[in-house]
This record gives sequence, structure tokens and C-alpha cells, in this order.
Amino acid sequence: MSVLARSVGNAFRNKIRTTAVVAVLAVAIGLALAMLVANQAVTAKVTELNASVGTTLTVNPAGGQGFEGGGEPLTAQEATTAAAVPNVTEVVGTKALRLRNATEAASQGAGGGGGFGGQATTTMTTSLTPAVDAGTLGNRNQETGTTGTQPARTFSLPITATGIGAEVDSTGKALDITDGSGLGDYTAASKSALLGTTLAEKNSLKVGSTFTINDQTFTVAGLFDAGTAFGNNAVYLTLPEAQTLAALPGELSTMIVTVNSMENVDAAKTALQTALGTDKADVTQGQRNLETAVSSLDSVKNISFMAFVAALGTAGLIILLIMVMLVRERRKEIGVLKAIGAPNRTIGLQFVLEALVLVTLGSAVGAAVASFASGSIATALIGSSTTTTAAPGNRGAAGGFPGGGPLGGATQLLTSVTASASPGVIAAGIAAVFGVAIIGALVPALLTARIRPIEVLRGE
Amino acid sequence: MIEVKNLVRTFQSGDRTIKPVNNVSFELAEGTLASIVGKSGSGKSTLLSLLGALDKPTSGDVVVNGVSLAGMPDGKLTEYRRRDIGFVFQQFNLIPNLTALDNVMLPMEFAGVRRSVRTKRAKELLEQVQLDVDRHDRRINRLSGGEQQRVAIARALANEPKLILADEPTGNLDEQTGGHIIELLSSLRREHNTTILVVTHDRSLANKTDRRFRLQQGRLTEETAPKQVQGMAPASPKAVAATAPVG
Repeated sequence: MSVLARSVGNAFRNKIRTTAVVAVLAVAIGLALAMLVANQAVTAKVTELNASVGTTLTVNPAGGQGFEGGGEPLTAQEATTAAAVPNVTEVVGTKALRLRNATEAASQGAGGGGGFGGQATTTMTTSLTPAVDAGTLGNRNQETGTTGTQPARTFSLPITATGIGAEVDSTGKALDITDGSGLGDYTAASKSALLGTTLAEKNSLKVGSTFTINDQTFTVAGLFDAGTAFGNNAVYLTLPEAQTLAALPGELSTMIVTVNSMENVDAAKTALQTALGTDKADVTQGQRNLETAVSSLDSVKNISFMAFVAALGTAGLIILLIMVMLVRERRKEIGVLKAIGAPNRTIGLQFVLEALVLVTLGSAVGAAVASFASGSIATALIGSSTTTTAAPGNRGAAGGFPGGGPLGGATQLLTSVTASASPGVIAAGIAAVFGVAIIGALVPALLTARIRPIEVLRGE
Repeated sequence: MIEVKNLVRTFQSGDRTIKPVNNVSFELAEGTLASIVGKSGSGKSTLLSLLGALDKPTSGDVVVNGVSLAGMPDGKLTEYRRRDIGFVFQQFNLIPNLTALDNVMLPMEFAGVRRSVRTKRAKELLEQVQLDVDRHDRRINRLSGGEQQRVAIARALANEPKLILADEPTGNLDEQTGGHIIELLSSLRREHNTTILVVTHDRSLANKTDRRFRLQQGRLTEETAPKQVQGMAPASPKAVAATAPVG
């Protein structure tokens, strides 16, 4: 009988005890693995969130935002100033245009534009029909300046065309192009355009189709999905093209500033505000709520890691105590083995193998437990985390501003975190447990084996 | 040849010092069957454990075929036990969840003997100690006391040791089985020229050995003139009884 066979036999010497030991180990190991998997999932998601949307600032003209407000427009010079601010990695300028359907504009005459103010926009005509009906909200919004006695008129909503300096939307999020391609060089004038999917569908346009803006023909280079009905009723052009159409070269509606890391966002925001001047620009952090969510996720990550360490430590302690108990129980056997010439390493190996048999069984059951429990635990951890952070974002979105869009996306991202038990993660966890088991078995066995055999035999 | 030189073993018991083995010296020639008798607590088992390197003496030395055990490192002592010593314990001390065959194979496994060789030899040894073949694959806890003692003797013989140390080998056995065990040890001594030292209470067993020693209060004396057996050496004149100092 080999050492291995003897160890396996010893592991099952007392079946009730073996079952109990394996069950306790399985719970501890399963919990440790579940925590490790949850930690990995949260870490990956935090990294993804940090990399994608957590580090952008939006610069608007002081006193103005979108098509509302007043003040002086931003310029290319201010974009250069912003780019020189420490920790700023990229500045993308945008130029917003308001497009009205040419046919409706002609039928409504000059009065039709009465509802649209706005310091930073230029209203133009287009062959496109908006994909969103004005409805109650649209008509109510456009009645500004009319008297209550006049009969209600039906308006069609304008379409926003945005000139962009990079392939991002007006909030700095990468465009999700679902068909066709991007616009290539966003710093050069081009007669190509990107259309929202619903806008293209409404106008029966596809990649390669043409439409007009101010009687100039543009070709659809690609279609994008912004994820919202409002966002998909839009057109993107290159920044120089939009500035040319508006006959306002060098003028910007907004600037999207990317900071190198989330830790530097606050400092960069302050520096940017100082550099541009509070009377010239308003700097806002549209993802503040997301930062809070990421911070909360970081806490979850730390909690899950601590739980992993604690569970692993518990598993190690259980193994250590079990092996101490087993060795203590079998001191006489060790003494006999020593008396008949067993070297210490053989005795140590026998007990290590015995511990590994128990841990292998415990790990197998624990891995099964983890595969069922990790998803639920991760969802529970992240769910409780986002409950507190999602509330302010929802309030922001309720205002109906375009800024609410990315928050909805963030909530989706957070809630979609699922823990997947990758083989590498499982292997790392089990290796750690095996390491603890080896030490836990070896130390008491060798300590006992070092004692003179007669002391062990006499002690019984 | 085993030479025991001025062997002393002391233990502390509270503020008292006990000397169960006090300046013991004797020699045993190869192939001798010797016995040590004495009252309970007289130090017989302690002396046996010193000879078998299960314990270390406080002073003195045991020399086996010219090799001194005093000062030998633990690793070498383990090798000595594995290669040169066969123990038969009063309580048998077999591994309970192993079969009789596996128990006998164990010392050979530690000595690095190939599996096929040790299986063959273990079966031969079990047959030699007259354990029925159908008992070979039985677990120890399903064997009778006499059968377990035979397995213990077979295990002690596994690596063909020069010296077999048997602590009360018949202590847990009935008279008939005990007698058979003595016959077995005698035949082994004859066939293998193994030196056998038996610790016993059993006067009849002691009378069947070549030399008889009495251990009293830590001092060893040889009781009577040894029988003339080939290879036997006379007892050392230094092995004189004396009162063991206590305290």
C-alpha cells in the first residue's frame, strides 16, 4: 500500500467525521470562492466604468446650455486653453444646429420660428422629418411667448444636428454605430453624416442614402443607436462642417473634456473653471452621480475582498484545527510509524495527502456551492450598493434633460454585473486553499514526528 | 553484538529525579535470546526503548556492531530503527485500519523495497508466524489478540533486523498462545540468528531464554549462569545490582 493509498484510506477511516469535515470545508471554501468571483466581477466593472464614462467634464458657455440661456459662445481658443489644463487628456468641441423640416418651415412662415430662442444655435432647414412627434410636451414647450387666447397650433419638433470633433455623442460617450461607418476625420469638413436609427427609419434612409441641410446634400455614412428616443432623433456631422453650415467658424456650443483619472476630476474641474473664467464658461461634471456609484462599487469590491480573505482564513483555520485534531488523535500511530522506521517526511507527506483528500472533496462541493451562490451574492452586493446611488440620478433624469441619459446607462451597467466563475479565478482560490491545507497538515504532523517516539507511545 | 555501556536515564517528577535505568552495562552476542524480568515500574520498558533508539539516554551509550547510538542524529536513529531493530510491543501497536499484510509491508515500504518484493516477503512472514492465509487481508481490528501478536512479530522481522526487542510479548495472551509465541521467537532466533531481547513478567517465558536479567530499581543483574548457547557472550561483571538513587 502506497502513502497515497494509505492517506486516502485514512481520510475515510471515520465516514461520519469525513462527511462533517467535508461539509464544513465546502461551506467555507464555497463562500471564499463566491467572494473571490464577486470581487473579480466588481473589479472588472469598476475598471470598465472608470475607463468609459467616469472622467468627463462638460464646458458650456457661461449662462447658456444647449439651446437655452445666453452669454458668449465658446471658441477654439478656449478649447486650446482647456487642453493645456493639467490632467486633461482630450478636449472635444461640439457645434449644435437646430434643423427644421423645410416643408413645415415654409408652411408655418416666419412665425414658426418664434418659439426657438437660443444663443448658440442656428436654425436651418432639412429634408428630414423628425422621428419624435411633438405631442403634449413638445407643443406646450413651444407655446412660450404666445397668449393664452390664441388657438393651439401643432408644431413638429426640431432635429438636433451636432458637429463633433471626435466619434462621441454630446455627452462624451462613444457612439454606438450599428450600421455603416464613422465619419473618418472629424476635424475636416465633410458631406457625410451619422443618423440616429429611428430618424433614419422615419425617413426611410439607410447607409449611402442622401438628405439635405440648407439645400446642401449629405450622405448617410452610418447609423447609430443612442439608446433613447430623444438621442436617436439626431444627426452628427464633423465639427468643421457644422461650423461652416452655421457660418460661425471657430465657434463651439460645448466642449467635452476628458480627465486622465477619476481621482483628478475634481482638481481638473476647478483648474478648468479658473483657466476659462467663471464669466466665460460653466464647467459641469455630468457623471458626478456615476462617480458616487463607482465609489460605492469600490466599497463593495473591498468588502467582497475582505470577505474572501476572511472566508479563506476560516477555511484555513478549519483545516488547521481539523488536522491538529487528527494528528493529536493519531499521535500514537505517528509514534508507531517512527518506531518502525518511517522518516519524518513520509509521515508529513501522509498527513498532507490526507488533508488534500479532504480539501479536494471540500473544494469540489464548495465550487459547486460557489457556482450557484456567486451570482446571487454579487447581485445582492451590487444591488444594495446601487439602491443608494441610483436615487439622485433618477431625480436628475426626471427633469427631462438630455443629461439624464448616461445615468440610465450607468444603472444598467451596474445592475448587469454578473459574477462568472472563470476557471482561472476558481483555480487561484482552490490553490490558496490547498496551500493552507498543506501548511495546516504539515506543521502539526512534523511537530509530532519530531518528538521522540517513546514520548508519544508512553503518552497514550 | 550489542554493548550497553553505563546507561543512565533520568526523569524529573516534580522536584524529584527518578532513575529507572541507572548505570546499566551488559553485552549480548549475536543470536542470543535473552530476557529481562522485573516488577512493574522497574524500568524494563525504558531500558528497551533506549536499546531500540526510541528514547535517548541521559548518559552512557549503546553500541551495535561497533556503531555508537549516542550522539547519532535523529535521521540516522530512524534509519537504525528501520534497518537493525524489530519491535514487538505489548499492545501490538499495529495500524488498525490496515490489513495484516499491509502492516507487515509497512517497514519494507519505508526501507524502499519494491512493492512486488515486499508483498511476497510479507506473505512469507505471515505464513512463518503461522497466521492463516485467510487472515492476511483482514483488518487488524478483526483479528484476535494472538493473531495480532503474530502480525506484530512478522512486522518486526520484515526488514531482517539484527535485534528484536519484545516488550511483554505474551502479556496480553493466554498461556497456550503465549507459549506458542515463545516457540516462535526461539525458532526465529535459530533460523535467522537474530538477537532477541524480551521484557517479561512471565517467569516461565524467562526460563526458556538463554540469558536472564533482572532489573530492580534501575540496576541490572544477571540472575543465573546462562545456558551454553552458541554465539552467546557472558554477562558483564559490571552488571551488578545496586540501589538506584532516587530523588
